[in-house]
Amino acid sequence: MSINDDKIKSALEIALEKAQKLGALSDEEKYRLKDEELVAAGEALAKRYLNGLPLRDIETELAGRAEGDRRMISQHLLQHLLDRSDIGHIGRDDNILAAIQHLSGDPGIVQSIRDLLQKYESAIEKAKQENLSALEAAKRNELELMGISGSAVEPAIETSREWMQVQQDLDSHYQGQLEHIKQKSRNLTDSTHTATHPEGRGNAIQ
Amino acid sequence: MNLVDNFYAYLWPGETMREMQTYGNNCNSYLVAKALPEDKHVLVDPGMVTNEARQNCLDRLISEMEKDGIKIEDVGLILNTHAHPDHYGASEAIRKMSGAQVAIGRGDDDFLKLAGGAMAQAIKEMGFEFPELHPDFYLTEGELRLGQDLVARIMLTPGHSQGHIAIYWPDAKVFMGGDLIFHGSTGRVDIPGGSAQSLKESIEQVAQLEIEYLLTGHQYGSPGIIVGQEEIKRNFDLIRIHIFPYL
Repeated sequence: MSINDDKIKSALEIALEKAQKLGALSDEEKYRLKDEELVAAGEALAKRYLNGLPLRDIETELAGRAEGDRRMISQHLLQHLLDRSDIGHIGRDDNILAAIQHLSGDPGIVQSIRDLLQKYESAIEKAKQENLSALEAAKRNELELMGISGSAVEPAIETSREWMQVQQDLDSHYQGQLEHIKQKSRNLTDSTHTATHPEGRGNAIQ
Repeated sequence: MNLVDNFYAYLWPGETMREMQTYGNNCNSYLVAKALPEDKHVLVDPGMVTNEARQNCLDRLISEMEKDGIKIEDVGLILNTHAHPDHYGASEAIRKMSGAQVAIGRGDDDFLKLAGGAMAQAIKEMGFEFPELHPDFYLTEGELRLGQDLVARIMLTPGHSQGHIAIYWPDAKVFMGGDLIFHGSTGRVDIPGGSAQSLKESIEQVAQLEIEYLLTGHQYGSPGIIVGQEEIKRNFDLIRIHIFPYL
């Protein structure tokens, strides 16, 4: 027997052992294992998407899966993208919104997010206008105490402690509204999932 | 290394071919000692924390400064000539050590926000982090007053990057040019935000200054510091003749 034969045999043995173990598992355990696999697949796809994998390539990969698995992985992928979205960053990445629209199949969700973002950005801009002079003066004063002044100095109010507090309050308010939209999306996908699959577990074992 | 008056230079090795083969990329750093109240220092272009060759650039800078009796904790202000990681990369790390204020040209801060995503991605793919920068203030064309009586002129010098700035200290006739001009060469213009025409115009603007010490951002096989008005004028002439036509 060659070394290679030995390796192949070992791989087969491992596969058989796994199959035997799987046979010994209860249905509940099988569902749990399958769920874990699908969650991991969804998360992995989300990470690859965020690293630049195009949506069409994701579709190609999903197409190789059984229909039930495909739906579950899509849902986990969508949830992972939603979980990663916060009010301060979601608007900077059109890719996330594009994926959410594509995967949810509900343009209303993305439109709600876009509307909220618009309100958030308007609120930030309004707060800036209202606080700009005072914040600039405070920063100039702080710099002057450190011996830094002159016509070349233009305070960056976005990094001042006072502005960060204002922004934090606005972020907190609008993040709450974003979470509400995200929860609606989760409810929507969960109900689709439950309606499609008996016991709400999907056709995990086929 | 003390250069003149309170000006210090910390050159990243790379003047010789051997050094260039041994050391990865990082910029030259410069320091104006005791420029601020409570004897705080001004550091220009701190360079990276670690470079692509996994060399500890910041540790080296700290060590070189200590040889001159200067502690990193006493840095009160960091001025960045432009938003390329090999120049500003260690800013936030030094801020944590010293509480220093951090500044950069307004134009390059915009670059960081807009193009940072794509650049960060490219750099991450090479296995590096894209360092963060949260400036306390931006630098625009004008006068920068430090402490009681030190004055620097901030010049907008686009070309290598859109918001590139240079710092001229008229009393000492010291010019800190970042990646605008080198010994026998200029900064590259093929990075996003770069412009050959802007670079030429910036260099011509700087050539009008009375400079005794021209401090460059890199050595790249030649001296990082050009000393003497005649030598500096020759360098400008050489660049006009031999470099400008190819930009």
